[in-house]
Amino acid sequence: MTLSLEFLLATGIGWVTACGILLLLRGRSFPVVLGLTMIGYAVNVFIFAMGRIWTGAPPILGTGAPAFADPLPQALVLTAIVIGFATTGFVIELALRNRHDGGSDHVDGLSDDEQRRREFPHGDAPGQAGEGGR
Amino acid sequence: MSGALLPIIVLLPLLAGTLLTAWAAGDESPARRRLTAAVAGAVAGAAFLLLMSLAPTALNGPLLLWQAEWVPGIGLNLGFRLDALAWMFASLITGIGLLVILYAAFYLHEDDPVRRFFPALMLFMAAMLGIVLSDNLLLLVVFWELTSISSFLLIGYWGRLEESRKGARMALAVTGGGGLALLGGVVLLGQIAGTYELSAMVAQASMIQAHPLYPLALVLVLLGCFTKSAQFPFHFWLPQAMAAPTPVSAYLHSATMVKAGLFLLLRLDEVIGGTPLFEGLVASAGLVTMVFAAGVALFKHDLKGLLAYSTVSHLGLVTFLIGLASPLATVAAVFHILNHAAFKAALFMSAGIVDHETGTRDMRKLGGLMTLMPVVGTLTLLASAAMAGLPPFNGFISKEMMLHEALYAPNNGLWGDFGWLIPILATLGGLFSAAYSLRLVHDTFFGAPATELPNPHPHEPPWGMKAPVLLLVGVCIAVGLLPMTIAGPLVLAVSTAVLGEAPPTFSLALWHGFNVPLLMSAIAVAGGVVLYAGVMRGRWLHHAPAGYVQAKALFWWLNDRLFEAAGRFTHLVESRSLQSYAAWMVGSVIVVATWALVSPLGDAPVAGPRETIAATPMAVAVWLLVIGAATAVVLLQHQRVVAVVMAGAVGLVASLTFLALSAPDLAMTQISVDVVSTVLLLMGLALLPQFARAESAPWRRWRDGVLAVAGGGGIAWITWLVLTRDFSSISWYFIENSVPKGGGTNMVNVILVDFRGYDTWGEITVLGIAGVGVLALLDGLRANRPRSDMTVDPSGRAWSFAEPPLMLRQVARLVLPLALVVTAYIFWRGHGLPGGGFIAGLITAVALVVQYMARGQGWAEGVLHAGGGTRYTRWIGSGLLIASLTGIGAFVLGRPYLTSAHANPVLPLLGEAPLATAAIFDLGVYMTVVGATMLMLSALGAASKEPPRARAAGGAA
Amino acid sequence: MSMLDHLPVLVVLLPALTAVALLFIGDGSAGEHGGHGHHRLLWARRLSVASVALFGVLAALMVQRVAGGDILVYRVGEWPAPFGIALVVDRLGALMVALTAAVALPVLLYASGGWDSHGRHFHPMFQFQLMGLAGAFVTGDLFNLFVFFEVLLIASYVLMLHGQGRERFKAGLHYVVLNLVASALFLIGVALLYAMTGTLNLADLAIKVPQLQGSEAAIAQAGGLVLLVVFGFKAALMPLAVWLPGTYAASSAPVAALFAIMTKVGVYALLRVHGVVFGGVGDAPGAAEPWILPLALITCAVGVMGALAARTLARLVAWVTVASVGTVLVGIGLFTPAAWGAALYYLVNSTLVVAGLFLLGEVVASQRGEAADHLEPGPAVGQPVMLGLAMLLAAASAAGLPPLPGFIGKAMLLEAAAVHPWMGWVFAVVLVAGLLTIVGLARAGSILFWHVREDLPACTMSGGSARLQGAVALLLALTVAMSVFAGPVQRYTAAAAEQLGDRAAYGRAVLGEGAQTTRPYRFDAAPAVEAPR
Repeated sequence: MTLSLEFLLATGIGWVTACGILLLLRGRSFPVVLGLTMIGYAVNVFIFAMGRIWTGAPPILGTGAPAFADPLPQALVLTAIVIGFATTGFVIELALRNRHDGGSDHVDGLSDDEQRRREFPHGDAPGQAGEGGR
Repeated sequence: MSGALLPIIVLLPLLAGTLLTAWAAGDESPARRRLTAAVAGAVAGAAFLLLMSLAPTALNGPLLLWQAEWVPGIGLNLGFRLDALAWMFASLITGIGLLVILYAAFYLHEDDPVRRFFPALMLFMAAMLGIVLSDNLLLLVVFWELTSISSFLLIGYWGRLEESRKGARMALAVTGGGGLALLGGVVLLGQIAGTYELSAMVAQASMIQAHPLYPLALVLVLLGCFTKSAQFPFHFWLPQAMAAPTPVSAYLHSATMVKAGLFLLLRLDEVIGGTPLFEGLVASAGLVTMVFAAGVALFKHDLKGLLAYSTVSHLGLVTFLIGLASPLATVAAVFHILNHAAFKAALFMSAGIVDHETGTRDMRKLGGLMTLMPVVGTLTLLASAAMAGLPPFNGFISKEMMLHEALYAPNNGLWGDFGWLIPILATLGGLFSAAYSLRLVHDTFFGAPATELPNPHPHEPPWGMKAPVLLLVGVCIAVGLLPMTIAGPLVLAVSTAVLGEAPPTFSLALWHGFNVPLLMSAIAVAGGVVLYAGVMRGRWLHHAPAGYVQAKALFWWLNDRLFEAAGRFTHLVESRSLQSYAAWMVGSVIVVATWALVSPLGDAPVAGPRETIAATPMAVAVWLLVIGAATAVVLLQHQRVVAVVMAGAVGLVASLTFLALSAPDLAMTQISVDVVSTVLLLMGLALLPQFARAESAPWRRWRDGVLAVAGGGGIAWITWLVLTRDFSSISWYFIENSVPKGGGTNMVNVILVDFRGYDTWGEITVLGIAGVGVLALLDGLRANRPRSDMTVDPSGRAWSFAEPPLMLRQVARLVLPLALVVTAYIFWRGHGLPGGGFIAGLITAVALVVQYMARGQGWAEGVLHAGGGTRYTRWIGSGLLIASLTGIGAFVLGRPYLTSAHANPVLPLLGEAPLATAAIFDLGVYMTVVGATMLMLSALGAASKEPPRARAAGGAA
Repeated sequence: MSMLDHLPVLVVLLPALTAVALLFIGDGSAGEHGGHGHHRLLWARRLSVASVALFGVLAALMVQRVAGGDILVYRVGEWPAPFGIALVVDRLGALMVALTAAVALPVLLYASGGWDSHGRHFHPMFQFQLMGLAGAFVTGDLFNLFVFFEVLLIASYVLMLHGQGRERFKAGLHYVVLNLVASALFLIGVALLYAMTGTLNLADLAIKVPQLQGSEAAIAQAGGLVLLVVFGFKAALMPLAVWLPGTYAASSAPVAALFAIMTKVGVYALLRVHGVVFGGVGDAPGAAEPWILPLALITCAVGVMGALAARTLARLVAWVTVASVGTVLVGIGLFTPAAWGAALYYLVNSTLVVAGLFLLGEVVASQRGEAADHLEPGPAVGQPVMLGLAMLLAAASAAGLPPLPGFIGKAMLLEAAAVHPWMGWVFAVVLVAGLLTIVGLARAGSILFWHVREDLPACTMSGGSARLQGAVALLLALTVAMSVFAGPVQRYTAAAAEQLGDRAAYGRAVLGEGAQTTRPYRFDAAPAVEAPR
C-alpha cells in the first residue's frame, strides 16, 4: 500500500501521544507539564481527525471550493485548544507554586534524596548520569 | 380505636420521653435530677398503664393491628401488632423499666449527669417496645438496631473509663453486626414472601421454607438472634457490657434487650420454625450456651460478672427450649422468660446495692454482709434460690419443665445417636447454676466479715433502692406458690400466640410427684452444693486463674489485627505517588479500550474501505519533523529549555497539519496558543532548576515504556480504523444553514459563536476562571523568592538572567500598535473568513507579551497591580458579562438563551458589514481572552525575575 | 416564552452572573484585615448566599416541574436538536441540581464563617463551581458535558487550593494533573463516539449507538469505555479511587464538603452515558456492564479498609466517601431500574452525610486543641453532648444504621440485589462493609468524645460559632428529613430510574418523532453556497 496521509497522521498522533505518556510518568513536575502539553497536541489533532481528513476543502462557504471539511470537529478542537490552554497555564503555575512552597520540584514533594531512595532502594543510583547543563 | 394506641405506646418514650428528660435535666441541680427521674418514670408508667388497658384484647384476642405508610416502595411501613407475646414483653419492658428508673434515681451519683442517662434509657425503652410491637419485619429491624445504638450510649455512659469504652464498642460491633445480618435475612424473607408484614407472612410459611434461599435467610436471622441474646460463641460481649451502670445492666442486659433474640425466635417460630435445620441449630446453640456459661459463671469473682454469665446461661436455657420445639417446651420457654426476668433483675439490683454500699463487687473481698444488711441479704438469698431452681420458687418450676422436655421432647435430628447426651448436659447446667447461686450468696453475705472494703461502713440502702428488689422477689415467691393462678393464663395465651394454636393442657405446679426430672434436679442441686464446697476448700476458688481461652480476648485480638491489616493494606494501596496514580489511569484505559476492540468480536477490526489520500513528500517531511521533535522532547527533557522549544515545534507541526488539512482557523489558533504557552513555560523555567538528573529506576522506565508504547500504539490504531471509514454526520445542517440562519460563511466560526455558542460561553468561562485562579494561586508567592541580591538560590540553582537588549525593547514598542490593527482586522473578518474573537484576543495578548519580555518584571507587576490589581480581573468579568448579556438579550424577544440576530447594513467606508449579535458575543470572547492571558503572564512574571533573552527568542520561534 | 421556561438555563446563568458580579466586587484582598476590604467581603458574602438561596428555589421549581414525568427541553440559540445544544432536564437532572443546592447552601454559610477570607476570590470560584455543576446536570449534549466538566473542574482546582499551604499544593498538583489526563481521555471518548455516530446529542446518541454493528460498534465501545475510565475516576471507582482521600483531606473543610458532590458528577455522567446511551440492545450497548459491579464492590471494600486505617477524622470521612460511592456504584452496576432507584436514594443521602461529616469534623477538631482531628485522646470538647449527638447521627447514617436514610438506602439496595446473580457478593460486601464502618466510626467516636485526657484542660468552644454549627445542623436536618419523608423521596428516585430506562420517550422529547438527523458526509454532500458579495 502507498504511504497515505491517513497513515502518517495516525502514526504521528500515536508517537506524540507515546512521548507525552512517557513524560507524564516522570517524577519532576516540569516533564509532567510537558507531557500534558504533548498529549494535548495529540488529542487536538485526534479530535480533528475524527471528522476524517480533507485536503483543499476549508469549511468556508462561497469560496467555490468543491467540498468542505467537516466543520464540527474543527469547532470542537477550537474549544478544546482554549480549554487546554487555560488548564495548562494553570498547572504550570501550580507546579511552580508547589515547587516553591514544597522546596522540591518533585510531583510528590520528595527531596532529591528521598526520591533517590524511592527509586534505588539498594543505593545503586547512577551518579550524575544524564545531568544536563544549559 | 385501640389499635392506634400501639404507635402511641412507642412514641411516648421515643419523643416525649427523650425530649422531656433532656429538657428536665437542665442544670443537673438536685431538684432537676429528681424531676428528670420523675418524668422518665411518668412516661414509663403511662406506657405501662396503656398496655394494662389493652390486656383483655391482648390475652383473649382479637389480634390488634395498626398500619401507616412510611416507605411503601420498599415495604417498610409502620405496621404494629399486639398479641399476647408482644403484650408480655411490652409489659416486662415498661414494668421493669419503671422499677429500674426508680432504682436509678437513687443509684446515680450526683456527678453522673442524668442528662446523658435518662434520654438514652428512654430511647432504649422505645426501641424495645418497637421491636416487640412491630408487625412489619423491616420496621422491627429498624428498632432492633436502635437498641444497639442506645445500648452503645448507655454502656459508654462512663466513657472516660477504658472498660466502658471497650464494652460499648464491643456490644455495638457484635449486636450491630448481628443486626446487619438480620437485615439481610429479613430482606431475603421479604423478597421470598413478597411482604414484610408478619401477619401476611405467616400464611406463606411453607412456601418460604421450601425456597432455596431459606437456609441462607434462616442462618442470617439466627445470627441476629444469637448475637443479641449472647448465645455461644457470641456471648462474650455481655459480660464486657457490665461496665455499664448497674441499672442499665439490670434492664438491658438481663431483663429486656438480651431477650430480644429470644423474642424474635418465638415471633418468627411460625414462619421459619419447625424445620430440622432450625431446631438443630437453635437447640444446640442453646444447650451449649447454657452449660458452658453456667460453668464459667462459677469462676467469676465479680458479682456482676457472675450474674452476666448466669444470664447468658439462662438465655441458653430458653433458646434450648425453643429449639426443642415441642409445644410444652415452648410453654416452658415462655414461663422461664418471665421467671428469669423477675429474679435476675432483682439480683442485679441487689448486686448494685452491694457495690453502692461497699464500693466493690469483688466476691473475694466481700463477705459477712448479712449482719450489716439483713434485708438486702435476705432478698438476695431468696432471689438466688429462685435462680438455682429451688422450690418453692418460680425458677424451680420452669427448670423442672426444662428437664422434663430435655428428657421427653422428640430428639432433634442434629444430635442423632448422641441424643442421650441432652438430658445429661441439661442436668449439668442445672448443677452449675446451683453452684454459682450458692457462691453468690455465701461469698457475699456469709463467711468471715469483709475486712478491706473501700467503704468500711456499709449499711442498709434507702428504701427507694430496696423496694424494686422486694417487689420482684415477691413475684418470684408468689409465682412459685400459685403458678397456675398468677402466670397460667398469661403463659397459655402467649404460648398460643407463638404456636398459632393452643398448646396441650399443661399444669404449672411445684409438685408433679416423684419423677425423673425431680431426680435430675435433686442431683443438680446436691451436685452443685458438693461442687461449690469442693472448689471452695482452702478458698481455692479465690485464687483460681481464669485459664481458659477468653472469647473476649479473641475479639480484641481480631479487632487489633483488623485495624493493623487495614493500615498495611491502605498504605499499600494509597501509594501517594502521582506517577503510580497516572500509570493506573493510563493502564486502565489501555485495558478497557483493548478489551472493547478485541473481545466482543473475537477478531480485531481492520482498516475500512474509505479511499486514502496519497502522502506528498512535504507531508512525509513534516511527519519526520514531528517524530523527531517529540522524540527530542523525551530525550532532552533534562535540558529543559531545549525541551520546551522542541515541544513548541511539535505544536508548530500540529498547526501545520491543520493548515494542510483544511482547518485554517485551527492553524491560526494553535500557533498563537503555542506561542503564548511556550512563553509561559519559559517564564516558568525561570523559577525552576534549569536541569534535572535522570532519576528513574530501570523497572519504572520499563513500565512507563510499555504504557507509552501501548497507549500511543492504541490511539494510532484507532485513528487508523476511523480514518479509513466513511461516516454520517449532522454537519450537513451547518453547511446548509451557516449563511441563511447563521449569517456567516466561516462555518467553524458560526458554529463557535452561534450553533454551539453555549460551548464557547462555557469555554471562555474556563479561561476566565483560570486567569483569576492563577491570581489566587500565586497570591503571595513573591515572598518565597530568594533575596534579590542572590544570584543563586540555596539549592545552587541559577537565578539571574541577562537584561533584554535595547533593540528588542524598541521593536516591542512598534509591535504593539501593529498587532492591535491586525487584531481588529482578524476580529472583524472572523465571521466570514478564518479569525474571530479568540484568535484576535490571543494576538493582542502575544503583542502584550512581547512588551512584557522587552520591559521585564517591573512592567509585569505594573500590569498585575493596574487599577488596584483588578484591571484584568475586570476585563475577564466584562468579557463574560458581555457574552452572557448578549445571550440573555434574546429573553426579551421571548427567545431562548443565545438566540442570535444578524443583518448586513452598508456602512460608510467599510462597505457592507455582516453584523450579528454573535459579533458582540465575540467581543466578550476577545476581552476574556486578553484578560485571562494577561493575568496568567503577569502573575507569573511578577513572581519571577527578568526573563532571559535566549529563551524569549526560543519562545518566539 | 415565560421566564420559567428558561429554568434549565437559569440555573446555569444565575451562578455565572453572580460570579461575574463577585469578580467586580472583588474580595478586598487589598485590605483583607478590616476596613474597606472587609466591607467588600461582607457584600460578597451577602450576594453569594442570596444567590445560592435563589438557586435553591429555582432547583425546587425544576424538581416540581419534572416530578410529573415531563422532560424539559431547552434549545439554546433556538437551534433544533441535535444540531444545536439542547438542555434536557428529566427527574434525574433536576434531582442532581437540587442536591447541589442542598449541599451548597450550608457549605457556603459555613465558609462565610471565616474560611472565605483565607485566600482570594473564594466566592466567585464557589459560584463558578455551582455553574459548572448545574451546567453538567442540565445539558443534553455530550461535548457540552465536557465543557461544563471543565468549568466545574477548574473552579474546583482553585477551591481545592484555597487557603494554600504546602500539603494542599502537593495534593492539588496530583488532583489537577490527574484531572487533566482525565479531560484528555474525555475528549478522546467523545471524539470516538462522534466519529462513529456523527452526533453529540445524548438522545441522538442513544438512538445511533445501538444501531452500530461489527467494527463500528467495537470502536464506539472503545470510546464508551474510555469515558468509563474518565467517569470512574471522577466518581472514585477503583482502581482510580485512591487519589481522593489525600485530596479531600488536604482541602479546607468547606471545600471538601462541597466536593462531596463532585464524585456524584461522575456517577451521574456514568448513568447518562452507560445507562442511557449504551443502554439499548445491539452490538455496542452494555459496554460497561461487566466492569462496574465488580469494581464497585472492590471500591466499597477498599474504602472501608481505608476508613479503618485512618488516623485523622478528615481522612476517615474521605475514605467513607469512597466506600459510599462504592455502594452507590454497586446499585448502578446492577443495571436494573429498582437498583438505580436505590442507588440514587443512597447517593442523595450519602452526599449530604459526607458533607455534614466534613464540616462537623472541623468543628470538633477546633474544640480539641492540639489533638485537632487526630484520632487520639485529647482534651474534652467544649460541647460534648451536642457535637456528640451530631456525630452519632451522621456516623449512624453513614454506617447505614436505622432509622437514618443510610439504612433505608442499603435496605433498598439489598432488595434490588436479592434477585441478581451476584446477590451473594452484594449482600456480603454491603453488610460486612456496614459492620466494619460501624466498628471504625464507633472507635473514632469513642476516642473523640469519651477518651478524654484528664491532664489537659477542657477546650473552649472556639469552633462553636453559631453560623458554623448552624450549617452542620442544616445538613443533618436534611438527612433526617430524608428518612422522615423517605416515602416520597424513594418514589421520586424510583421514578427517575424508571424514566432513565425509557430511552424512547427521552428521544421523542428531545428530537421529536424519528427524524433522520445525520447524513452521509462525502465530498458531494456539500451544496455550493453563494458567498455574500
